[in-house]
Amino acid sequence: MKKPLFLLLFGLLTVALVGYTMAAAPTSIIVAQDDSPAMMNPHGDDSDANLQYMANFFDGLVQRKGADGTLAPALAEKWERVDALTWKFYLRKGVKFHNGNPFTAQDVKFTFERTANPEVSQFVNFGKSLESVQIVDDYTVVVKTKTPIPWFVNNLHQLFIMDKESTEKRDAGDVMVKPIGTGAYKLEEWVKGSYVKMVANEDYWEGAPPIKKVEIRPITESSTRFAALASGQVDMLTGVPLELYDQVVADKKLEVVSRPARRSIFLVMGSKPGSPLADVRVRKAMYMAINEDEIIEKVMRGQAKPAPQIPDPPTVGYNGELKRLPYDPEGAKKLLKEAGYEKGFTVTLTGPTDRYIMDKQICEAAAKYLAKVGITVNLDLKPKSIFFPEVAQGKLEMYLIGWFDGTYDMGRTYAKLVHSRDLDKGYGELNGAFFSDAGIDKLIESTATMLDLKERTKTLQQLNKMAMVDKIYCIPLHYQVDIYALQKAKAINFKPRPDRWMVYKEISFAK
Amino acid sequence: MATYIARRLIQAVVVLLAVSLICFCIFRYMGDPVISMAGLYATFQEREEVRRVFGLDKPTYVQYGLFVWNAAHGNFGKSFVSRVSALPLILERFPATFELATCAVCIAFVLGVGLGVLVSLRPYAAKSRLIMAASLGGISIPTFLTGILLIMVFSVIAGILPSYGRGNTVQLGFWRTGLLTLDGIKHIILPACTLASYQLAVLLRLTRAGMREVLAEEYIKTAWAKGLPPRKVIFKHALRNVMIPVVTITGLQFGELLAFSIVTETIYQWPGMGNLLLTSIYENDQPVIVTYIMLASLIIITLNTIVDILYGILNPKIRYD
Repeated sequence: MKKPLFLLLFGLLTVALVGYTMAAAPTSIIVAQDDSPAMMNPHGDDSDANLQYMANFFDGLVQRKGADGTLAPALAEKWERVDALTWKFYLRKGVKFHNGNPFTAQDVKFTFERTANPEVSQFVNFGKSLESVQIVDDYTVVVKTKTPIPWFVNNLHQLFIMDKESTEKRDAGDVMVKPIGTGAYKLEEWVKGSYVKMVANEDYWEGAPPIKKVEIRPITESSTRFAALASGQVDMLTGVPLELYDQVVADKKLEVVSRPARRSIFLVMGSKPGSPLADVRVRKAMYMAINEDEIIEKVMRGQAKPAPQIPDPPTVGYNGELKRLPYDPEGAKKLLKEAGYEKGFTVTLTGPTDRYIMDKQICEAAAKYLAKVGITVNLDLKPKSIFFPEVAQGKLEMYLIGWFDGTYDMGRTYAKLVHSRDLDKGYGELNGAFFSDAGIDKLIESTATMLDLKERTKTLQQLNKMAMVDKIYCIPLHYQVDIYALQKAKAINFKPRPDRWMVYKEISFAK
Repeated sequence: MATYIARRLIQAVVVLLAVSLICFCIFRYMGDPVISMAGLYATFQEREEVRRVFGLDKPTYVQYGLFVWNAAHGNFGKSFVSRVSALPLILERFPATFELATCAVCIAFVLGVGLGVLVSLRPYAAKSRLIMAASLGGISIPTFLTGILLIMVFSVIAGILPSYGRGNTVQLGFWRTGLLTLDGIKHIILPACTLASYQLAVLLRLTRAGMREVLAEEYIKTAWAKGLPPRKVIFKHALRNVMIPVVTITGLQFGELLAFSIVTETIYQWPGMGNLLLTSIYENDQPVIVTYIMLASLIIITLNTIVDILYGILNPKIRYD
């Protein structure tokens, strides 16, 4: 009597095992991402790593779509600038939150006012810049800012609208783990550190997304992430590490998708009067002394594009005329001699070790190139948690940093990074090395109230040229490249976004 | 015995206070957390306001005093990164680490002692020499290399075991377990083996050495002479006396596995406490770091005390007063 029971159990076990190893159905996808969500509160973390998760559960008044990141209507159908301080938004009708509540102007007012509270929001700068939010009627909102902000709407794709009623009713801890938004996906389950399961919102105002079930498995260790893809456990992965790039390309079952990132990496030099760096010739010499092409080839394994400036092509202020100075160590030595530093000098190069792709290695390479023209570099590499506060304090001599501005407008970047430190007026908080130029400062301040796009573009381009060519604020190195890998067999239709966000409503299956 | 335990408790409190004080002193050099908490584009004034709201503008000794006061009431502060209470955040991950550490200790103990006994009985056989050589590998190969090798062999090449995560888990009240589903068990095999490899090797060599010494004793010869079955001689008489150092070491190592299995958890993306500690250090999440270190100290102190008591039970010659 025991044997048939045993056989039955064995059979069931086999079926169960087989069932578990079967691949996901064609309307669902399993993705290994290299960053995990910190919380489900859309305002509590302003890093792209968290915002991309929020972009699936929530919508902002506007959104950025597709491969160019063009600004498009989302919860606001139309908007207009009434005057330098006032913006009017016409909201979309008939949108419902995941819990059934209708989306109205009350939710917008609640959301915007919430961002000023540092206990629940990291968008404090945005929240505090608002003077008032007026509800004209259920679907019209008028927002007044304290000072003119030309890029105001450009940034709203990062401000996700929350449901006033349920957010006020729930306790803070619940808001942190359960998102209630208007987005294309609803949260099915979030096991911290393990996975995020999303299910399609069939009533989504833009139309139900093509992929019905998404399972995201954050895996921070790059070799484990690659193993997950190579063994077929996941369908797609973000953030292919450079060391494994050749292996991924060689694997016939995998397809690699890459695109130039918006982030540019550059070396900022201070200009303290009296220091060697105050002389433009020295700065030019240092620029020419670094062989960027070799850095791209050897350190970045070819996965980077040389950058002549900080902003990327779609950003307002990008100047297509600018070119990188070519590598010329002899010319560099001549310039140094001219400036009186034939014997060289010593400078401290500070850099993060865990923030950008190959950041440590780039710093080490730069130090070696500068040593070849006689400049002694003291490397001071540290974790990002110590590095960025030092940049904010402004005590460095020279440092490596990467940047891209979510507003697609260079004005804000330059105000924070290049303008001299003037903490009372709110300039130069991230000017880490005492760079100061009166001409650049004046130009930056003049753009603060420029709202006409043509005028802005012209002035910002001029500013860009002045900073890059005339004063050499920094040595621009390259734009990083975002690399993704997919299982060929799954036929996934995926076009990477410029901001590296994984927005699943934009992904579909080719079948 | 009661006074002994009471004394240990007081020692524990002293250690916890010392550990947290050291953490607070180190935090002064770890970088300013307000920079990331206030958001990238915050102005200087906005950062200072965030500093005030979170009480980070007070001098270090005041912050420490407040922390100890709150901790005594069970409030360990809120994580800077995920803005939820630090202690529940860590304890939420305790089941994952506990299951992993327990499986690793079980594997290490059963295989280590078992193989150790086998090897001690026929020390010069080819199989025994092979096992001893392998144990040398277990001790010297670093954990992350073992982990990556196991993933390559069993997950990528052979494709029979999963390479990351806990798989399907079942929530029993507050405890999320992976041991009740087949998927969960498949997921725990590789990480537990990786974690156990060093332990296993140590226990194997320890058991072998102990057994070799005990098997040569006079009373064992008496047991053989009496004609007792081999199982009884080896397990009931010989192994019992070897167990004391083995249990001591296992107990001490278990505490370390619970608190600091960071490397294995990172490789396998195991959602345990070690993984959380690593990310918290990267993100400069001070409340979580100091709470974690205190919790780890408490775990290790408790386990050490249990091992000491167990030692007293196993060896009647030991007396505590």
